[in-house]
Amino acid sequence: MAAKVAEEWLNICGGCEVSILDIGDTLLDLLPSLEFVHMPVLMDHKYHGQTGEGDPHKIEIPAADVGIVSGGIRNEKEKAVAQAMRSSCKTLISLGSCACFGGIPAMANMWTTEELHEKVYRDSKTTVKSDTPNKDLPPLTDRVYALEEVVKVDLSIPGCPPSPDMIKEALLCLLQGKPFSLPEKSVCDECPTKREKKASGGDLKRPLEAMAFKQGVPWEETRCYMEQGYLCLGPVTKAGCAGQTTEQGEAKVPRCIKGYMPCRGCFGPVKKGANPLVDMMGALSSIGLKPDQVVDRRAMLSRYVGGQGRLKPLPAKPVPVKK
Amino acid sequence: MTQQSTPSATCLPAGEASDFQNPDPLVIAFCCNWCSYTGADLAGTSRLQYPPNARIIRVMCSGMVHPNMVIDALTKGADGVLICGCHPGDCHYIDGNLKAEKRAEAIKLMLEDFGLEPERFRLEWVSASEGPRFAAVMQEMIDGVKRLPPSSYKTG
Repeated sequence: MAAKVAEEWLNICGGCEVSILDIGDTLLDLLPSLEFVHMPVLMDHKYHGQTGEGDPHKIEIPAADVGIVSGGIRNEKEKAVAQAMRSSCKTLISLGSCACFGGIPAMANMWTTEELHEKVYRDSKTTVKSDTPNKDLPPLTDRVYALEEVVKVDLSIPGCPPSPDMIKEALLCLLQGKPFSLPEKSVCDECPTKREKKASGGDLKRPLEAMAFKQGVPWEETRCYMEQGYLCLGPVTKAGCAGQTTEQGEAKVPRCIKGYMPCRGCFGPVKKGANPLVDMMGALSSIGLKPDQVVDRRAMLSRYVGGQGRLKPLPAKPVPVKK
Repeated sequence: MTQQSTPSATCLPAGEASDFQNPDPLVIAFCCNWCSYTGADLAGTSRLQYPPNARIIRVMCSGMVHPNMVIDALTKGADGVLICGCHPGDCHYIDGNLKAEKRAEAIKLMLEDFGLEPERFRLEWVSASEGPRFAAVMQEMIDGVKRLPPSSYKTG
């Protein structure tokens, strides 16, 4: 019997869904064992009955064996949908960095919702001032939440976008009743580039500045990007984006590294609950790069992991008593 | 080697009580086993007076105090953190204190990212024979923290 699958997208761009399609030919082999019962991106399935005849206060999602949710939670509707998904699905998967850690939208967590409204509707010079729209719209939550902060999540597939191979592997594990988890290793543990010696007192380069590499030579002859002076989040990011060894037996190369770009940190912290900002600042200073040259530090080093309390509005400084 | 403050050998006079916004702060002091902890011992055996607000944590080297520990302490309610190590050149592990010095730069930057005042963190060199200096550093640090409002991360 085919396993029933429900899929939902919340606060997201849609890239995770594209990744599901990107599984490619293997998806055709998988499809007979999967039955999609709810998937707003592909199917017309309404929350309150197809013609609106259902209870307007209850979100109906058909019962499913596996629920896949992509995207974090930004408003009350998304919160309600996430809770409905949890109660309808036996196993819940959070797909992509937004669902796992808040993702790019969670950079907004550095400001309060009031400040965001003020900036977007009134403060911006190119905008006609208006009130914050609220008619027929679900109110925003106080900040962006990762899925696991709102409902219990059984399995996480991080990545921005997640790798199709990993989605396939996770689904296969579920179908066969095997456990699926990512090891607590950093991207550097899997990165094949050559490490010579630590930089000392070097200036930090921008990712667009020319990198020293030669295409076609073995990875072991390409110098570590960090040692070349680029800000690479490899040391503080969970490994796994490379997937398994290719059929040709080539070594795993993390995805961004393979594209001659430094790691951006989309797989989240190596250990649950760690803060990549603090870890990376420590790593930068011990490697010998100048930590004060990181532009927009808070956002840059917590780019994908702003949920789970990692990015917050700065505490209001109490006014010192005048002497 | 960075320029560092040179507190007088005797304890500084305590600040005016009215200057203090936070009369009872909590300061965590990481002291290296070989110099600063022994310096703290000497301050104690010499019966030197300094405020009792510090909780001393003995570590093998100032170089093992990861920025995580400092930021964790500060965001979980400590009002200040002090790292004490051997003078440059005196490190038992040759260059541990220089590592601490590099890390301290990163920590100072991160205070900004977490919305904390720069006075809440200090790195000081105290040797095993500098009991009076240890007491003076403590007095100075704790007085500085007392002048700040209680940490905004403090709960309850």
